[in-house]
Amino acid sequence: MTTRSKFRLPLRRFALLGGITIAAVFAGPSSAHKDPVTPAQLRAYQEVFMEQVRKGDLLFHGDQKMAEQLGVAEDLSKTGMACAMCHPMASDTHPQSFPKFQAQMAKFATLRDMINWCIEKPNQGVKIDPESEAMKALEAYITWSNTGSVLQPGKF
Amino acid sequence: MSDELDRIRREMHSVLQPEGVRPDDSLKITRRTFIHGSLIFGAATVGQTFAWWPLLNTLDIAHAAEAPFKFAWISDTHLYPRSLNTRFVDKVVRAAQEVQAMDPPADFLIFGGDLAQLGKIEELELGVDLLKEVKIPKHYIPGEHDWYLDMGKKWGELFGRPNWTFDHKGVRFIGLDTVSRGPDYWTAKNMTPEERMGHMATLDGTVAGPWAGVGRDQLDWMEKTLADWDKTKPVIIFSHNPLYEYYPPWNFWVRDWREVHEVLKPYSKVTNIHGHVHQVLYNEIGTLRSIGMLATSWPWPYAPEGVPKLTKPMIRVDPGDPFDGVGWEKIDVAATDEIKTEYIMWGRKEVFVQSAEDYDKNVSEIIRPRMADNMWPY
Repeated sequence: MTTRSKFRLPLRRFALLGGITIAAVFAGPSSAHKDPVTPAQLRAYQEVFMEQVRKGDLLFHGDQKMAEQLGVAEDLSKTGMACAMCHPMASDTHPQSFPKFQAQMAKFATLRDMINWCIEKPNQGVKIDPESEAMKALEAYITWSNTGSVLQPGKF
Repeated sequence: MSDELDRIRREMHSVLQPEGVRPDDSLKITRRTFIHGSLIFGAATVGQTFAWWPLLNTLDIAHAAEAPFKFAWISDTHLYPRSLNTRFVDKVVRAAQEVQAMDPPADFLIFGGDLAQLGKIEELELGVDLLKEVKIPKHYIPGEHDWYLDMGKKWGELFGRPNWTFDHKGVRFIGLDTVSRGPDYWTAKNMTPEERMGHMATLDGTVAGPWAGVGRDQLDWMEKTLADWDKTKPVIIFSHNPLYEYYPPWNFWVRDWREVHEVLKPYSKVTNIHGHVHQVLYNEIGTLRSIGMLATSWPWPYAPEGVPKLTKPMIRVDPGDPFDGVGWEKIDVAATDEIKTEYIMWGRKEVFVQSAEDYDKNVSEIIRPRMADNMWPY
């Protein structure tokens, strides 16, 4: 009895997994992501990314209208300073070096932590939600502008 | 972009630096470190929060003045209205107090442009007000931030002609306007003065284009101004932009550097002192020596390419300290025919990098120009 029941359990599991697999095979072809990628899809994905880069570029350069649109106009800076004033073309932001120990914060930090630190300290603004569209747009612009820089995580 | 820059750079070197040509041998540079009196003054007044004992690096340049004298340089204060940004105001106050406290006093102060951030009357007048603390004669040249709101109207009312010359104790001084001759990028796009200024005020903007230049008319004026000057006697030229090609996308150049060099070539002891770059810079182009000055407002990172090989870079700054990486300069023309340029960088024992990690280009960096400013619906 004992031997048989031990056998049955794996068999039942196998049957269940097999059923799911068979169902997935039949249902699967309707899922687009199983198809080879098309140029139209690539364009669409790229457009989504570049739209965020565009928004981030404007935020980074102190564009008031974009900051209002994304709900961060009161937060990003209270000194007139914009990110690009110290980081033209997003230079010296080193997104490829994160995450790393960031001396100013005395902690292991992400790029988003550093963006918020810059907003709060040099710009004397108010930290923004790390998951917000504004933060993702800033991150998109900074990384896009640094395309080509070599990944050096942890580098001072 | 890099290919085009490489081409320009190769051309510049072939035009300006034929084999064996360099600044006069009497213009020797040494570096030394010493304690600076004006910062002791700073420590006693506004420096209580900064626990440093300032040691400063200097560049000594031999020259040929008739009598010893000093002058001071402040630039790139980028003042906003006082109600918006008090940090920039505090730093101008500090620089002005320290210049005024120089002992023996400086003969004059050069203000090297970008007094205002957005060219507003209020900003320019605030600058004039803050610099009243400095009682010695003051000479101003314009920066692009001073100019493009009203095309230099208010600046002219306050300071007069943007280019000028005077002789002082055996040295001919020339102030140049390298900002007012930008190509018209605003009329066709119906920009407001504020929009025009906004593009000009964005260092990495792509709309204002190659605005930095001396212009044929001013070159002719400079040629005429130098015509009666002994070619072996010292000339010091002040300009907002560097007079060579360093990094055109940020207008770290003048677009007519070839013509500038043609005018200056016969003179063997020419020193150019410039602002705009907000960083320590040193270069020798043909017989011309060039020294870049700090801002009081904020430091720029070095450009991703084109940093002159002769530049010993300044130290990587702490962005949490508004007084780091900025300051003013003291230029000392000694009886021993020396000119000593002293970077007075607040809050630093060492102005120059001490190790690879001190340099902001220690991390790999390949960056590209922005794109969104060309997509605006003009």
